[in-house]
Amino acid sequence: MSFLHINNVHKRFGETHVLKGVDIAIEQGDFLVLVGPSGCGKSTLLNMIAGLDSISEGELLLDGRCINDVHPSRRDIAMVFQSYALYPSMTVAGNIGFGLEMRKVPRKERREAVDRVAKLLQIENLLDRKPGQLSGGQRQRVAMGRALVRDPQLFLFDEPLSNLDAKLRVDMRSEIKQLHQRLKTTIVYVTHDQVEAMTLATRIAVMRVGELQQLGTPHEVYDDPNNLFVAGFMGSPSMNLVKARIVEHDGVLVAQVATGDTTLALPIVRDREALSDWCGRDVILGLRPEAITDPASANHRDGNIHEAELPVDLIEPTGADLYVVTTLGDASVNARMRPGTPLRPGERTRFAFDVSRMVVFDPESERRIRDEQVVDSALEETA
Amino acid sequence: MSNASPDRDGGARERLQRWLPKLVLSPSCVLVLFFVYGFIAWTSYISFSDSGMMPDYTWVGLHQWSRLWTSWTWGIALHNIWVFGLLYIVSCIVLGLILAILLDQRIRAEGVLRTIYLYPMALSFIVTGTAWQWFLNPGLGLEKTMHDLGWQSFSFNWLIDSNMAIYTVVIAAVWQATGFVMAMFLAGLRGIDGEMIKAAQIDGAPAWKIYARIIIPQLRPVFLSAVVVLAHLAIKSFDLIVAMTGGGPGNATAVPATFMYSYAFSRNEMGIAAASAVFMLAVIAALIIPYLYSELREPRS
Amino acid sequence: MSAASPAARRGAATRAVLYAILLVFAVIYLMPLYVMLTTSFKTLEEIHQGNMLALPGEWTLAPWREAWGSACIGLECNGVHGYFFNSIKIVVPAVLISGLLGAFNGYVLTKWKFRGHKVVFGLILFSCFIPFQIILLPMARVLGLLHLANSTGGLVLVHIVYGIGFTTLFFRNFYASFPDELVRAAQLDGAGFFTIFFRILLPASVPIIVVTIIWQFTNVWNDFLFGVSFASGDSAPITVALNNLVNSSTGVKAYNVNMAAAMVAAVPTLIVYILAGKYFLRGLMSGSVKG
Ligand SMILES: Nc1ncnc2c1ncn2[C@@H]1O[C@H](COP(=O)(O)OP(=O)(O)OP(=O)(O)O)[C@@H](O)[C@H]1O
Ligand SMILES: [Mg+2]
Repeated sequence: MSFLHINNVHKRFGETHVLKGVDIAIEQGDFLVLVGPSGCGKSTLLNMIAGLDSISEGELLLDGRCINDVHPSRRDIAMVFQSYALYPSMTVAGNIGFGLEMRKVPRKERREAVDRVAKLLQIENLLDRKPGQLSGGQRQRVAMGRALVRDPQLFLFDEPLSNLDAKLRVDMRSEIKQLHQRLKTTIVYVTHDQVEAMTLATRIAVMRVGELQQLGTPHEVYDDPNNLFVAGFMGSPSMNLVKARIVEHDGVLVAQVATGDTTLALPIVRDREALSDWCGRDVILGLRPEAITDPASANHRDGNIHEAELPVDLIEPTGADLYVVTTLGDASVNARMRPGTPLRPGERTRFAFDVSRMVVFDPESERRIRDEQVVDSALEETA
Repeated sequence: MSNASPDRDGGARERLQRWLPKLVLSPSCVLVLFFVYGFIAWTSYISFSDSGMMPDYTWVGLHQWSRLWTSWTWGIALHNIWVFGLLYIVSCIVLGLILAILLDQRIRAEGVLRTIYLYPMALSFIVTGTAWQWFLNPGLGLEKTMHDLGWQSFSFNWLIDSNMAIYTVVIAAVWQATGFVMAMFLAGLRGIDGEMIKAAQIDGAPAWKIYARIIIPQLRPVFLSAVVVLAHLAIKSFDLIVAMTGGGPGNATAVPATFMYSYAFSRNEMGIAAASAVFMLAVIAALIIPYLYSELREPRS
Repeated sequence: MSAASPAARRGAATRAVLYAILLVFAVIYLMPLYVMLTTSFKTLEEIHQGNMLALPGEWTLAPWREAWGSACIGLECNGVHGYFFNSIKIVVPAVLISGLLGAFNGYVLTKWKFRGHKVVFGLILFSCFIPFQIILLPMARVLGLLHLANSTGGLVLVHIVYGIGFTTLFFRNFYASFPDELVRAAQLDGAGFFTIFFRILLPASVPIIVVTIIWQFTNVWNDFLFGVSFASGDSAPITVALNNLVNSSTGVKAYNVNMAAAMVAAVPTLIVYILAGKYFLRGLMSGSVKG
């Protein structure tokens, strides 16, 4: 049985249906990251787990117990808020200890617990200050301390790093990761940040207007997206999406892309079974920028590299990488090349496509066209 | 499990917690419903009843209202409040805006000046009335002072001139409220985006033009608030008139508020008093309700 | 340098005019207070002979003493001191109770919203703006029924009821700017309704408490309409006593005593204003414009 089970949960605010049946299950020690565009219901879902918003329909199980009607203070859940929500008139120590005080923990024990957490977060020297006298990063730490001190079953984070500057955000990100690895707690974490989601999560849930699009490991969500939305949402720069047609060529299944003067034919190596039904039909190809490179930096070992000469429209050096923009079909396509590759707009150069990473979508339903998953059938057997 | 009973205890406490907010709000709601809306209903009913010295609940329709409308004093009161209100609002806004613009020129002693312009607002109208009554007293006040200073022909006896007395009230009222209007405008001026003004300066617009074309049009919400607040103060004005002129000479400075008071408590004509009060409420409601509605509407789309 | 000089001179001249205008206005605004003060220290003779604007030739405290202790108001000749204390007896409980109710209302209306909370707030808020003439008649009867007519207790009740609107407005606008997450965090920490209010919100409310107290203090102290309608004789507040003193038609007008009495009535609010004018202004503004 899973540790946290969100079972077909709905939320309505009057007429508006904000969550439309969300199903998520995670294990103890998991780090679940909720991502999705603004307003898709991430905070609402988090608040429902915390008990701060009521559940319109469905069930919430924590460690096998239904907690739908349990008061927030008795769910054994702690939450870190985006605005930190530090009590302005209490000292840092008072803030961290408040939850214990409300639970009638004796003063001495409280003091010890606060000191322990303060040490863990390296804020011992701030304990007597008021929140108004702290920097953004320090406030963030205090907010985390307030959650940690109670040693709850489950931690909830609602965009905890979004108010920090870029550098601090990276530092805090790795601290949260270390903390998770050390304490082995279960965490549900909301963020807008792609990198945060990829680096922190053991499971990512992608949401869109109140519906779960995909739940999986970061790797699954990134490389094996369920649909066009997930493919486009995850990753920055985002996945290249190109119109193509599936045809059979000398017994080989290929995806044909018209590129101005010639036609590019990319052999299909993934999901071949499912795509054989799509011969002669239009599809949408998805290729990550890092799957299109210069021939020298491509991985030729598996023989999945397909090369083609294409015009260079634009080059965008970012320092670490060089993004080269070309045109496939009627779409601009981003390729990631080695920095320093000598290229100029208007030239033609050879691009290497790693077709093993190519994913294909149904343009009508926007769903992924994929072979029956091994995992799925294994699950069905056990069931 | 052993924690079944604390859970049940918790249930009762949680139910109480759920009701607490409404419980805490209810005394105020009861007070307001009874003492505001209940009283409004009662007074409205009385305005259609045959009440004189004591309430009498016999329904007489519009009888009291027609008596009110044919009353000579009520006519004066309406005329006065119209004159008073218009002059009061316009003068306060003009003076307040001028003072605010002048004060907004990086004046060194701004804090002190602001305090001086604003302090009358802290005074009771009765104190203000007493002070101005003395100040404008024809025998001893300003007129005598001017004569002493050698300006023999100076004459200022408005306070006892029934055609002019209402204007003395306007002067005192404007003196009291201008500072507040100035403060509102000053806050508005400080809220205007400085970049736009800099852009206009770079375009070479002279200062007065920047004010006339760019800044003042942006103060529209402040104008609206000022008009609403001042109009509301004007209609409620009672203290100042009682203290300065007592409604006199004769009935010359009667306004609806003093009219209502005298019919209610000296002439024992409850019905007419109630009708005049309902009329005042209706005017204020027509002014305030749309304003409150627009102010409280959610800015969210 | 030489080219800039005429422009600079013009600028300096403009500023001189600017300061002159502001100064003239300041003099006009201070004039009544000045006249009131100086008159209160003059003898009646000097008032009749001398110049209103001149400083007292001979300073005397007699008018103040008379105003405080022996001036005749109605039939009694005990000065205004009794009425001054009446006002204090009215102001203190009225301000405290209406402030506390307003704080609770603001807390509930922003942090424990329920269906229809806006309607409730609108109804409470509208009570700030009614012309009080509409409630004079029924209030006089209700106070009579409650045996509170002509008592300071009755005026306390009246000021609480009609003060709730403003105090609720102040606290509601203040608490609306508090993040809701604060309350949510406290709930997760296990704090209940009153704990959250007294431990978390109230300690952070000092600025709005000051505004509310100043606003209510000024309003209640300066009230005349309720005082004159519901409290006559011994229980009248200072404003009513002052008006009776000044506008009583009997005897010779003792202007110096009148002015001293007016100063007695004005001093408490003036002191508050001078000490906390900043907050006073904020109160005025939030009373008119939504925060
Ligand atoms: N109290 C409420 N009443 C009505 N609608 C609400 C309420 N709270 C949230 N919503 C709506 O529910 C939807 C989801 O809101 P939520 O705050 O969960 O989004 P989110 O995914 O956290 O967005 P963001 O990334 O911007 O934080 C939004 O469309 C919002 O307008
Ligand atoms: Mg959110």
